[in-house]
Amino acid sequence: MNPKFILYFAWYYGFYVILRGASYLLASLSLPLALLFMVTIFTHGTLIAFAIAGGPIAIVAANSINGAGDAAFFRIQIRIQDLFVATSITSQDYMFALSMSYLVFSLPGIVLYAILGAYFKVFSLSSLLPIVGVLVLLTLTISNLSFIIAGLLKHIRNVWGITAILSIIMTVLPPTFYPYTFLPQGVIYILSVSPVTPAAVLIQGIVGLEPMQFSMIFILFTETILFTLLGRKFIRWRE
Amino acid sequence: MIEILGISKKYDRRTYALNEINASLKERVTTVIGRNGAGKTTLIRILSTQLTPTSGTAVIEGLDILKETKKVRQIISSIPQESQLIGILSPLEQMQLYLMARGFSSSQAKEESKYALDELEMYAYRNAPSDTLSGGMKRKVFVAMALASKAPIIFLDEPTTGLDPLSRIEVWSAIKRLSSKIILTTHYMEEAQELSNEVMVIDQGNIMTHGTIESLLSAFNGMMRAEKLDGAEYDIKIANVAIKYIGKERVDEFVKKGYDIKRVNLDDIFLSRGEILES
Repeated sequence: MNPKFILYFAWYYGFYVILRGASYLLASLSLPLALLFMVTIFTHGTLIAFAIAGGPIAIVAANSINGAGDAAFFRIQIRIQDLFVATSITSQDYMFALSMSYLVFSLPGIVLYAILGAYFKVFSLSSLLPIVGVLVLLTLTISNLSFIIAGLLKHIRNVWGITAILSIIMTVLPPTFYPYTFLPQGVIYILSVSPVTPAAVLIQGIVGLEPMQFSMIFILFTETILFTLLGRKFIRWRE
Repeated sequence: MIEILGISKKYDRRTYALNEINASLKERVTTVIGRNGAGKTTLIRILSTQLTPTSGTAVIEGLDILKETKKVRQIISSIPQESQLIGILSPLEQMQLYLMARGFSSSQAKEESKYALDELEMYAYRNAPSDTLSGGMKRKVFVAMALASKAPIIFLDEPTTGLDPLSRIEVWSAIKRLSSKIILTTHYMEEAQELSNEVMVIDQGNIMTHGTIESLLSAFNGMMRAEKLDGAEYDIKIANVAIKYIGKERVDEFVKKGYDIKRVNLDDIFLSRGEILES
């Protein structure tokens, strides 16, 4: 493990994209903020707390799934992955560094929602740590899923379309912006195929909007481990 | 020294990208020449531990690329074909990341990056986002990475492909500053002649010929290349162009027959694919 490389890569590729590519940041915030607006209007504000609690999840999930585009672009188009293969770092270092850069890139959105959450009394200080834990796990799980997708692609021409579709499916279908109790329990388990579902159910439980479902901790952890192992296999490190 | 020991690579069941090739690369700078799809990149990717061969192996400075991969990666630096910089990051940032991946500390990586960029007259652009740099400048940043890595062995896969003549000369000048052992691929003969001591010609996954430039050209000693569209006499015919290798005493004769006469150079080693040399 090369923690210095991971930290520097995460900072450079996360922070400088915010600094030099503000349009990407605004694009990543546009969907959750649009949904927050719509949920507030259509429910006359009754579900605003759910839309705020789901915002950070949607941001982290969308940014991480978009990582499939980066991973494919770096491997197939600009050959940066090959450059790193012939060095001392491992595939795990590279994957972890990219994943962490998505978390850094998500920070402004998370802070924005933290402010909104504090204003509307959705988040409290005591809920901070478990929420951060869920977001970190979600970043790792989904970015590993994005490495699997990237590894399956031979050309990059379809990657942006695929990630855009997945981003919508993974963030809007699961109970990210609405109470998970609207869904039958069986459907929740089916939707748990997307790691966003256990993350959303957990955060609604952590902030006290809905009852806590501890089985979702197990599901999220299992998915994190599973996708990490599969991501390592599919990233095509030494082909 | 690099010993290539019976390396084969098959991407599918039928086609060999490399067909059991054996060679010893002894000179400081070796150029692997071949047409597109000849197997140059496959060979470089295998030697620089990015690709696993179907069979065979190679030994780099006594280290087996399959059994001692980690140690091999410590002594090599490999710049992949058509590699590009991440547009949003600056040359300095990307060089630091590359050097830290090679085990440099952050301060050491920064210092070595600055020094190498300065050496290649790129210091003024160190903090500019890479997507603002010209094609030649971007390639120079990769050569700077290789320079800063201080790796004893450097692989450069088609370092000047797609560059304009001026940028190519800039990159050549950067490569000439490297003191490591270099293995580079190209399909530009003048690049091989300009930069290397040893040439290996690959075609369809096989080595056609291999040796120092002098030894390979010596097979053409006293010969000239006579070339004519639809010429009747030829050793090689490429499309409709007839190419005949002739002694200097026959120059007048072939001029009268309408042939253009040219000096023999590395192009001819490639064009003849070793056939003239063998005869």
